[in-house]
Amino acid sequence: MNTRSKNPWKRIFLYLFVFAVCVVILYPYFVMFTTAVKSNEEMYSTTAGILPKEWKLNNLIDVWTQAPILKYMLNSIIVAGGATILAILCGIPAAYALSRMRFKGKGFFMGAVIMSQMFSPVVLLVGISRMMSAIGLKDSLLGLILLNAAFNQAFAIWLLRGTFTSISSEMEQAAKIDGCGTVQALIRILLPMAAPGIITTLIFVFINSWNEYTIALTLISTDALKPITVGINVFYGFNMIQWQYLFATSIYATIPVIILFLCIEKHLVAGLTSGGVKG
Amino acid sequence: MNKSAKIQSQKNGANSQTLQTMRKVEPYIWLLPSIILMCCMIMIPIVNVFRASVTEITKVGVYKEFNGLANYASILKEQTFWNTLQNTLIWTVVVVGVSTVFGFILALVLNVEFKGRKFVRALIVFPWATALIIQSVVWKYIINADYGALNALLYNLGIIDKYVNWTATPGAFFAWECFIGIFVTIPFVTFCVLSGLQSIDTSLYEACDMDGANFFQKLFKVTLPLVMPSLTVSTVLNIIYVFNSFPIVWTISKGDPADQTHTLVTYLYDLSFSNGKFGEAAAVSVIGFVILAVCASIYMIMTLRAERED
Amino acid sequence: MKKIVSVLLILAMVLSLAACGGGETGGKVTLDVIISQYGNYTQAWWTEFEKDFEAANTDIDLNVEIVSWNDIYSVVTTRISNNEQPDILNISGFADYVASDLLMPAEEYVSEATKENFIDSFWESNEMDGTVWALPILASCRALFVNTELLEGAGIAAAPTTWDEVLTACEAIKTTYGDSIIPWGLDISTDEGQAAFSYYTWNFGGGFVDEEGNWALNSAENVEAVEFIKTLIDKGYCNSAPYTDTRYPLQDAFSAGTLAMMIGPMNMISADSTVQYEAVNIPGLGIGLGVCDQLMTFKDPKAEEADPARTEAITKFYDAFYECETYSGYMVYEGFLPATEDASENLSKNAEKYTVGGDSGATGSSEYFATFCATLPTCSFYPMQKAEWMDVRNGVIDVEQKVCQGLTTAQEALDALQAQVSG
Repeated sequence: MNTRSKNPWKRIFLYLFVFAVCVVILYPYFVMFTTAVKSNEEMYSTTAGILPKEWKLNNLIDVWTQAPILKYMLNSIIVAGGATILAILCGIPAAYALSRMRFKGKGFFMGAVIMSQMFSPVVLLVGISRMMSAIGLKDSLLGLILLNAAFNQAFAIWLLRGTFTSISSEMEQAAKIDGCGTVQALIRILLPMAAPGIITTLIFVFINSWNEYTIALTLISTDALKPITVGINVFYGFNMIQWQYLFATSIYATIPVIILFLCIEKHLVAGLTSGGVKG
Repeated sequence: MNKSAKIQSQKNGANSQTLQTMRKVEPYIWLLPSIILMCCMIMIPIVNVFRASVTEITKVGVYKEFNGLANYASILKEQTFWNTLQNTLIWTVVVVGVSTVFGFILALVLNVEFKGRKFVRALIVFPWATALIIQSVVWKYIINADYGALNALLYNLGIIDKYVNWTATPGAFFAWECFIGIFVTIPFVTFCVLSGLQSIDTSLYEACDMDGANFFQKLFKVTLPLVMPSLTVSTVLNIIYVFNSFPIVWTISKGDPADQTHTLVTYLYDLSFSNGKFGEAAAVSVIGFVILAVCASIYMIMTLRAERED
Repeated sequence: MKKIVSVLLILAMVLSLAACGGGETGGKVTLDVIISQYGNYTQAWWTEFEKDFEAANTDIDLNVEIVSWNDIYSVVTTRISNNEQPDILNISGFADYVASDLLMPAEEYVSEATKENFIDSFWESNEMDGTVWALPILASCRALFVNTELLEGAGIAAAPTTWDEVLTACEAIKTTYGDSIIPWGLDISTDEGQAAFSYYTWNFGGGFVDEEGNWALNSAENVEAVEFIKTLIDKGYCNSAPYTDTRYPLQDAFSAGTLAMMIGPMNMISADSTVQYEAVNIPGLGIGLGVCDQLMTFKDPKAEEADPARTEAITKFYDAFYECETYSGYMVYEGFLPATEDASENLSKNAEKYTVGGDSGATGSSEYFATFCATLPTCSFYPMQKAEWMDVRNGVIDVEQKVCQGLTTAQEALDALQAQVSG
């Protein structure tokens, strides 16, 4: 598109549009925050103002003593981190083979990868939990790591393959002639060049795993092993919903991911370019 | 490392036949970790679900004997199933369609340079980075008719003079669910398109300007064809994700009132965990899978054909 | 690469070890118990119980797991389908487990003393085909809660006792306070819509079953009751989304003073609430809903014959739990009513000895237990012992939602459900 528009009306329209978008996007976060600092009484007020009448900033601190949030967060980090590492470790060789080698069944494998995405974890819940208890990994973080890694495999392979394909193989060949092995060529030459794509993939898998809810809900029963998305359910208790704590925890669960996202926002676009376009 | 060392030694001397077999086998070794992971974690449950769909299962989950297509027959008789199928179709088409169009427009806007662009770009990430379950709970609170935030906001701004019941009908529930679905899907589309836009050479537009092309000519002749691959990727992935999306509908309405707002995924969850109909739920899973698989095959055939033409 | 892999492997091993946590028990009998989460502090009480029990019975390894009501059915069902049922389960409803031949008859494991101690009606309420399959863990009953301040403000002197008075009161509240107060709380969500069905049908003179205990869902009284629910919605007397509002936000709204009347459990008012309220009989016939959750024992899936050592451990568990002091303490802790004779008697006099869960330091009130334990016999219970109960439960919720959405009439919907259940 034309990157420098001169028409002032266009500018005004543009700013109005962008402003409207920002308002809508920020609104749920605004609600999340203002509700988190309300008193329980005001929560159910039918004549509430836009802002809380009484700011109970203490809620944001109290919530830490109401539930083992730190523990939940830690579990989330272990699960998301583990799943990301595993998904990448399995995904890189696969994507490398798919982009650099010719072999029988390549098309079939690609098809199978896409097919594996057709079933969402929810659809497979009963099957998944049967299998996980059969191998004794139900109610364990390792089980969640394996599942999240597997369900993100397709996406990881897809993005990585695109990235690798977009990088010319000349450098690696040169390295091989110099006596480098395939693995060395991959690690020394290709991976550094593919860094933006790899980072994008990392983040994607991390965020998907961090936000995963249904598998964890069904598989994890020990309180100390719950990730944060399931953990916030404690505020959906038997006799009450504590909206203020629910939202306070939500804020804490969201902040790390947003920060992470902001850090890589630039790479994100670059990574999708190399990865996605060649999909 | 072992493997590469072996390849290395073979390269450096040994007979060429082993080398050839190694070459043939090598790609599969590279694929192995990924295959093992996916087979164990996805294939086994899939087989499980297929088996469950032809098995009689008691209300509390005990597997009895093979019962042929009885589960399928009983599910196809249900009016709710057909409603649900229709909902799922609307849900997928509306959410993916609207968010693709809107996400595309947003990407075009964000590709223009203006003050605060960085800020807005950062903001767009928010809905994407927030867990769906959290996003859904917040929206549930926002649209609550009795003490929700939206009514309070509009009332205090003087836009409404009486609290509005935002979810009076099943249709209203479903519309909100679609809205939230769109809200959380847009960022992904926007970023995919943005990445496509960035790879477009600006000289192409300059050439168009020379020819006196207007905005829409440039849009359809240059921009659209060039970001098409990105759009395709985001659309295909979104179809799969949205079709299988669970937390939004489940949090907002649980498929109620009167099972009118289910999508296939919430329906089968409801069937298994609220009604104890595990066999039927598995049958619904398989039906959903078949629908997506058909779509995927069409896509595969199309891409394979395109690749051959290249 | 190798390093990372080995680190991962170690990580995996550590995690799986942590996950399996003490699989080796060395000749001890292990009892897995699943307890429903009744409040925010349920876990703490059971952790303490587990410790004391294991100290007193060194040959038994007790594992108590607390599961929230949100997840308990899916958790238990997936366990069963994996052949990993717990030994003891605390849940509501047992007929489906009996139908799948999973439970041990109560007589096989309950000691004579514990059995004799149950209040007769509770013991019998878990009978199905002549066998008792479960033990009552606790009871609660539902009554009409009214915010007296709001009612007086609207010119209503006393809490309504008939359904017409309910409509009058709702209208008065609506005229006086406009939209700022919701007159009546209604929950016909899948969460607990069957409770609404019983409040209204029972007190209109109908109910789930007829006198012989056969399903009688389409009686004229039931039709009237369901139509009454629709009236509440159509006139705008109740909360806006009764299809998805569960009882919990309604209770909180009542405690916050923005909801004037609702039917709820006796412990529904939150501790920090300042509203002036009164709990009275449900209008109409005044029949309360008694809710009685159960403890049940599963057969050992791995053994053909019942293992005497296991049965003995189970007996010990129940003896310890229903022991007067322990059990009374738990009832006060969670705010429910006891199902045993000695605890009822004890709590009607000495409830102040025990403290409520949490760190508020509040104690039980003997007066409270005396009143509610006395009303309990007048309550009716869900026909949980009937095999079709789960279908009926889901069926009546569906009827309520469909009728209130105007998709069908009450008569048609109830006829259809009756035909489906009895045919």
